[in-house]
Amino acid sequence: MNAIAKAIVISSVVALSLQACQTPPPITSGIGAESLTNEIPPATYLKVDNPELAELLTISDVKNRLNNGLLEVNTELSSQYEKSLKLQYQFQWFDPEGFAVEAGKRPWQPLELHGFQSISLQAVAPNSRAKSFKVYIRPMSSNAYKF
Amino acid sequence: MKNKKILATCLLTMIISAGCAQKSVVRYGDATAVETTDINFGSTDLQKVAAEMTDSLLLSPVVGTMTNNNRPIVFVERIKNKTSEHIDTESITDSISTRLLRSGKFRFVDMTRVDAARAQIEFQQDSGMVDPSKAMQFGQQVGAEYMLYGNLSSIVKSNKDKSDVYYKFTIRLMDLKSGLVEWADETEIRKTRTKQSVGW
Repeated sequence: MNAIAKAIVISSVVALSLQACQTPPPITSGIGAESLTNEIPPATYLKVDNPELAELLTISDVKNRLNNGLLEVNTELSSQYEKSLKLQYQFQWFDPEGFAVEAGKRPWQPLELHGFQSISLQAVAPNSRAKSFKVYIRPMSSNAYKF
Repeated sequence: MKNKKILATCLLTMIISAGCAQKSVVRYGDATAVETTDINFGSTDLQKVAAEMTDSLLLSPVVGTMTNNNRPIVFVERIKNKTSEHIDTESITDSISTRLLRSGKFRFVDMTRVDAARAQIEFQQDSGMVDPSKAMQFGQQVGAEYMLYGNLSSIVKSNKDKSDVYYKFTIRLMDLKSGLVEWADETEIRKTRTKQSVGW
């Protein structure tokens, strides 16, 4: 083995060993749905930032209504995957001018979705100013979930 | 040549171990992010309980009727901690009452600050330093119409490979005039800890 080959082997081993110690940043992109009230009629859009996750999950039936004067949202989330998925979701609320209502007060909520399970995600606006919403679903930020 | 090989191996080992050396790093995180540091009651559980209970209370038809043309006055008794852990249940009731207050549907009286309020009114009345025509009077506060209270209980099980904790949080709203429980709800949380093999 000549010197160059040796150098390549050693440097690649060192590179590998250094890389192994670093934890890669977790995947925090996901999929979501949002309602826009500045359009007539009000429309709901789906948003896909993580195509791998979008292949495993379907968001459907994004519905909203007024209940006790507060905007209530119900969306259907179904798994297209045979194994369990560990996810988290968050709702955000906006007033008619598009300003966030109670920004940062709504926590990310953990969610375990079993194989091909379908569940409803429900939430209520924090007050009567909220007229539109966003819901976002992303994998539980763990490197154990590589899709 | 043999010496060189030994030296090279030593160097390589040193580099590898240096690559894995740990150093502590401080970062700001997302306060609303899901936290799974250990199996004990954590911030995510607190936020989940507060959000779900507030949603449920605000959506309940009874509360809809109650808050139609009126903002009922509520006092928070306490959440009894029946778990084996030390949990600051006042923090849970604080979150719930703050959310309810900010929804604009309810008003609250704070029983934890009665002594401080009394001391302030006494000061205004008796110290001679406050204009008597503008001093707050005793006997003019408004009393609570409803009482919010609840329980937090847990079931913990574990064996050598797995720990499981189940929390049940029950909350009730009592009409103080009639003594009727007008609304109740409960939420559950299950957390498990299993040993996971960690690989590269």
